[in-house]
Amino acid sequence: MMRKAGEIILLLLLPFVMTHADGTHYRMPGKPTLTSCRSPEKETFTCWWEPGPDWGLRTTYALYYRKENSEMVYECPDYRTAGANSCYFNKNDTSIWVNYNITVVATNSAGSTFSDSVDIDVVYIVQPNPPERVTATILEDKGWPFLRVSWEPPHKADTRSGWITLFYQIRVKLEGESEWEMHYAGQQKTFNIYSLRSGGTYLVQVNCKPDHGFWSDWSSTSYVKVPEYYTRERSVWLLIALFSAFIFLILIWLIHMNIRSLKHCILPPVPGPKIKGFDRHLLKNGKCDEVFSTLVVSDFPPTMSSNYEDLLVEYLEVYIPEEHELMLEESKDLHDGFLKSEGSASDSDSGRGSCDSHTLLMDKCGEVKEKQTDQEGGRMGTEAHTQQADWDESHEDMVSPDMSSGRVKTWPSVFSPLPQYSPSPLHHPNTLETAWQQQQHYLSDTLLPADSLSSDLSQAGHNIKDTPSSNYWKFCLSNKRPHLLQTDARWHLQAHSDVNISNISHKEAPACTYLSSLRSTEYVEVQRVNEEDRVLLHPVSSERHDGKDCLQLCHGEDYSKVKGVDIDNVLLLHREVMEEEVDMCLCDNQETNGATESCYTTITPQKPTSCIQAQAMSGYVDTATMFAQPSH
Amino acid sequence: MPGHIRSVCVVWVVFVCLMFCSRLTTVGAAPPCTNAQAGCHVLSLANLFDRVIQHSARMHGISNDLHSEFELYFLPSKNQIGRVSRNCHTSSILTPNGKENAQRMAREELTEVILKLLVAWRDPLSHFHQSMARHHDFNNFSSNKSLEISDMVHELQKGVQKMVEKMQMLGIMSNSVSSLASPEALLESDSAEWRLMKNYDLLYCFRRDSNKVQNYLKILKCRIVPEYGC
Repeated sequence: MMRKAGEIILLLLLPFVMTHADGTHYRMPGKPTLTSCRSPEKETFTCWWEPGPDWGLRTTYALYYRKENSEMVYECPDYRTAGANSCYFNKNDTSIWVNYNITVVATNSAGSTFSDSVDIDVVYIVQPNPPERVTATILEDKGWPFLRVSWEPPHKADTRSGWITLFYQIRVKLEGESEWEMHYAGQQKTFNIYSLRSGGTYLVQVNCKPDHGFWSDWSSTSYVKVPEYYTRERSVWLLIALFSAFIFLILIWLIHMNIRSLKHCILPPVPGPKIKGFDRHLLKNGKCDEVFSTLVVSDFPPTMSSNYEDLLVEYLEVYIPEEHELMLEESKDLHDGFLKSEGSASDSDSGRGSCDSHTLLMDKCGEVKEKQTDQEGGRMGTEAHTQQADWDESHEDMVSPDMSSGRVKTWPSVFSPLPQYSPSPLHHPNTLETAWQQQQHYLSDTLLPADSLSSDLSQAGHNIKDTPSSNYWKFCLSNKRPHLLQTDARWHLQAHSDVNISNISHKEAPACTYLSSLRSTEYVEVQRVNEEDRVLLHPVSSERHDGKDCLQLCHGEDYSKVKGVDIDNVLLLHREVMEEEVDMCLCDNQETNGATESCYTTITPQKPTSCIQAQAMSGYVDTATMFAQPSH
Repeated sequence: MPGHIRSVCVVWVVFVCLMFCSRLTTVGAAPPCTNAQAGCHVLSLANLFDRVIQHSARMHGISNDLHSEFELYFLPSKNQIGRVSRNCHTSSILTPNGKENAQRMAREELTEVILKLLVAWRDPLSHFHQSMARHHDFNNFSSNKSLEISDMVHELQKGVQKMVEKMQMLGIMSNSVSSLASPEALLESDSAEWRLMKNYDLLYCFRRDSNKVQNYLKILKCRIVPEYGC
């Protein structure tokens, strides 16, 4: 019993085993799928399916459908008309507004496989054929061409009876382009396209769609060539180009005419500091002399001023012998402000001023001078007073001599007619301050207080050799340019430039320096002419000074009268001084009408430069213009 | 100056508004004519047909939207198999299912079918709208459309009736369609059937019927006044 059941079971299982053992032979067909159903005119329709894998077996496909509200299953009436794997429903089999349930069955020797069912309503699967007889022609509208496209509906679609309503669409493109230009034409069967390119070839296609359905395929392409109407365009462009060129030229001309005002408007010039007569380029080149020559006001100080009282010039001659430098060094502290003490004998920078900075000078001048005043007040006691009295009227700018290896350098003279020379130390900063402000002039206030000045001056009266602390003073100059001190020895003091009065020979000859700032009408009395043919001047103080010491304050009423000037530019003085040519010692006297000392020029060829400028007016020599080279 | 400009602008705006208003009034101008009064703007039959067909096209469009929306919101799983046994309440109305059938039908018959269809859908659609309005998840768009659709059906029906009257007046159509003057008579036969239908089936059936109406009207038009757009 059990055995029989087992046999039966085995028998039953055998076909399964057999099928599994040899799958290729007994395998059910793959599942087909309905791809689409389409109706071209809403009267017939076709369905296509995609067969599944058939495993190499012969598989048959059948399509079955069921209509709405009916259980009857029908098979596809026509498998051929529409091609392979299709089913064509003709008019008789097609019912509109009826739901079809369609299924495809694949059958092979192993079995059948049903596809998924699809419900369709023919109304919604309409896809017409493309429009037919598409024509594209070029017509002209008032000389301008346009493209007219006309077509016919697909012959199968019955639009005449109103059964199908078709809507059309056109697409156009130029030959060679990639983008189509789409136009919706509605229900009309003609369409116009404007704005054609002259000489171009256009491609035209039309398609259609029912009111509820799918767009048809595009119709076959129609080619149309647009004739050339370019020449008319070209002439227009030519005219436009000419006109714009003309306008452009006019604009250019206008701009050119008004370029300056335009520039001024757009890029306003940046105001910069400008000093009249000052040439920056010369400054760059290093020719300081020439640069500042322009800044010198020629008529300042007024040489022709009649009011001498206002322009008191004090001439100072500074001569500092070398051996006294050490002593001078000691007194550096005092004279620090205005002593060029750091200037050693080896200082060869002739152009550099004694003052390192004008502010330094300012700071130190006052205090140093005060100190000096104190220090030397005792010494100079009476002299100070006398000198102070003398100095009341005078004020000058002292040029600080830069003593260096026999050369005395003077600071550029600064002229500031100080009305009252007050000894108060406070006075000086003020004057100094005011002096600094003036840039036009080389104004330097007297840095020395009256008493100190006087003391200095008194010292100046001394022979420099004798007094260690003599004759060194620096004057802070309103001239803030130390490089101005690079002066040529020939510079006229009138030029208010740096006067580098080189010490002729401090040993042999008095270093004659100008205090170029001498405005004050100081006169130095010529004492005598020494054996070396030098004019010795009467010192300001009652002290006598050496023949070499030319640094004097020339103030006082004594003066020498010049008898005349001979041909060789020799100044002939009235005094007992002989009419001989001597080297002149200089006192600063830049007054044109104040020839305080008689200066003679020697005929020695070494000194061609010394000259006497004779002022014919008053018979007085303006010694300010003369200075002697320390070549004696 | 700005005040002056402003006043000018105001005047201009007012003027433009007046122009527009007058235009709008003139558009809807043609007063309803009764018995061809003097000064009444008479519409030609072709125009009537066009208007009616446009109306029906719009109606079908709305019905299509409603149906697809309903399908999207309420039936994510496309369970189509059960739809085969759908039974529209208007299936009792014999409608031509093909072009030949429709062309074979007399114009009066066709008109009658149209009118029957339109009448048959008036109540179910209003009911549908009411039932939809109670659904909170039905969006406003569909709710408005459902309301609109019932009105449209009614409007279309009246329009077709007017057209029929005109045709009868012109002698194009016989007076056999006179029974349609009282459309309520048509409703009695299938008054209760539509209540059994589900909403989705309702929309499906209406979509189809509106398509039928549109198509039949087009056929009528091309048969009666073929010179325009046929």
